[in-house]
Amino acid sequence: MSNIDFLALGPEIAVTAAAVLLLMIEVARKPSARVWGWIAGIGIAAALGLSIAGWVLGRGTDANLYFSDMLALDGFSAFGGIVVFTLTGIGLIAGWGLVTSLRRRGAEFVALVLIAAAGMHLMAASANLIMLFIALEVASISFYVLAGITRNRAADEAALKYFLLGAFASAVFLYGIALVFAATGTLSMAGQESFLGETILLRPGVLLAGIALLIVGLGFKVSAAPFHVWAPDVYQGAPSGVTGFLAAGAKVGGFAALARVLTVPLDAYLDDWAPAVAVVAVASVVVGTLLAIAQDDIKRMLAYSSVAHAGFILLALTAGDAGVEAVWFYVSTYALQVVGAFAVVAAVSGPDTGASPLDSYAGLGKRSPMMAAGLGLMMIAMGGIPMTTGFVGKLGVFRAAIDAGYLWAVVTALVATVAGLFFYLRVIVRMYMDAPGGDAPALEVGRGPAWAVGITSAATIVLGIAPWPLLNMLRDALPF
Amino acid sequence: MVELVLFVIFAICALFGAVTMVWARNPVYSALGLMLTMFSLAVFYVSNAGHFVAVVQVIVYAGAVMTLFLFVIMLIGVDKAEDRSETLPLQRPAALVLLALFAAGVLVAGARAWTTGYTAPGEAVNGTIEAIGSRLFDTWLLPFEVTALLLIIAAAGTIALAFFRGDGEEG
Repeated sequence: MSNIDFLALGPEIAVTAAAVLLLMIEVARKPSARVWGWIAGIGIAAALGLSIAGWVLGRGTDANLYFSDMLALDGFSAFGGIVVFTLTGIGLIAGWGLVTSLRRRGAEFVALVLIAAAGMHLMAASANLIMLFIALEVASISFYVLAGITRNRAADEAALKYFLLGAFASAVFLYGIALVFAATGTLSMAGQESFLGETILLRPGVLLAGIALLIVGLGFKVSAAPFHVWAPDVYQGAPSGVTGFLAAGAKVGGFAALARVLTVPLDAYLDDWAPAVAVVAVASVVVGTLLAIAQDDIKRMLAYSSVAHAGFILLALTAGDAGVEAVWFYVSTYALQVVGAFAVVAAVSGPDTGASPLDSYAGLGKRSPMMAAGLGLMMIAMGGIPMTTGFVGKLGVFRAAIDAGYLWAVVTALVATVAGLFFYLRVIVRMYMDAPGGDAPALEVGRGPAWAVGITSAATIVLGIAPWPLLNMLRDALPF
Repeated sequence: MVELVLFVIFAICALFGAVTMVWARNPVYSALGLMLTMFSLAVFYVSNAGHFVAVVQVIVYAGAVMTLFLFVIMLIGVDKAEDRSETLPLQRPAALVLLALFAAGVLVAGARAWTTGYTAPGEAVNGTIEAIGSRLFDTWLLPFEVTALLLIIAAAGTIALAFFRGDGEEG
């Protein structure tokens, strides 16, 4: 009855085993950082392989539920695993300079990254609200520690703010779970779906309050306005080597959870929650775009731009089930862009420092043509220029929102897209048209950021020119 | 009737404790307020036949966790009152206005649309250790196992954050 199958949990077991092994070997043998890299790499590769196997076996719409309906093995969770473990691998490669600069504490850093990956994948795979809450906490608490890992003043501030606001958002989310439980009598998403599908609630006040609180709790995790206030300080204060992973991971996990919660158990109440989601989306797009223009630190600018991107992704969710493909395309390609952009930031400002003022990018085109080209490409993609994934992603979310009847939201978002080009292109102008300040030497770029930028740039261009393989794939990545 | 009276009394206690926890300037009063809230919650568990959970609540939260809090407060220093100056002067009035709006929303919803829709089955709750244990290791096995990850994070995170000496030397 309880349907226990540890193979369904394979990706989590792989990365958790790698994390535990790493911590134990670190205590017993104090190996070099290369050994940490091998253990983490094997764990992530195994998890990625198991996710791909889960995709081959579990794609399509028929979900298999395991552990008494706690865990869903379907195209949605398998695709989520592929995205999460890919970006964990690239994020670790991009931030490897941070790991070595932490010396012996690097082992704990790598272990926490692996555990955060397990938590993010569980967020995509949870089929029960309590399971989702614990997965969310696993990912979030790892993120709080990672944000403050360098223990300088900015990192401490980032970690503390992230922790306090995040704990508050988790409490709101938990209250939402309690209210939805009170209204439906079950915590299982499949059970809630069938209860709400079969029962007409004449006065659904408790349920609607619960839905609102769930949206607030998860809206915090994906940094949608007005729950975005943590993002700029955390992005700026966290060491650059891990900021990309934090930013992309929070988006992927948060949107996977939000998409499943809204379209599976609460599908019958689409007409009630979709307007709220549309308002949050438009608020995020407007606030993120306007505040990004005023920033003079590239990490703060990327933080506000991520608020705007959260808004774009939320637009697709107003279509319910029909928008999940657009959400996945946008989230997965945006995650790669973010990891690539922060890999450049780590190369320019150093992986263990927080702030990265825009002035230090002046003349980057001469100091390091490859990094400048990579960052320029990510800016173009985030701005939504054709031939990049950013354009295809925006097209998808706008079409989903128009089909759902939110034309006003799409028009606002289009205006914000054009306004957003200002600050994305400003970075490119800075890099190519301004002279480097003083006599800045050519930038020494490590192999890690170079690989990370190369992989993410290639993916951004290839999937931007030929998105159809991924789009076809996503048709099978719907939640059960 | 007894249950209702108990609920009202301890609900007031729980809310009073929670407000004290946030409002008190002295951290010891905050800790005591939190303890009052936790005891009141234990009473609710008892009135819902969750005897084992109630005992755990008293032993773990009101006992162990509160002792830890008091230790930390004593180590930091009891006499440190909190500085209440705000960098954003409008923050507190704005928060109070929004709180009032939220309360009004809840009250309106409560008067007009506050029913749950789900009617619980009439069977009695089985709050024994045996029942909880078998549910925990059957239906709730996976969440229970995943909380182990939280413990690993706590241990690894504490080592990573606390073994830092500031001068670049690692402990």
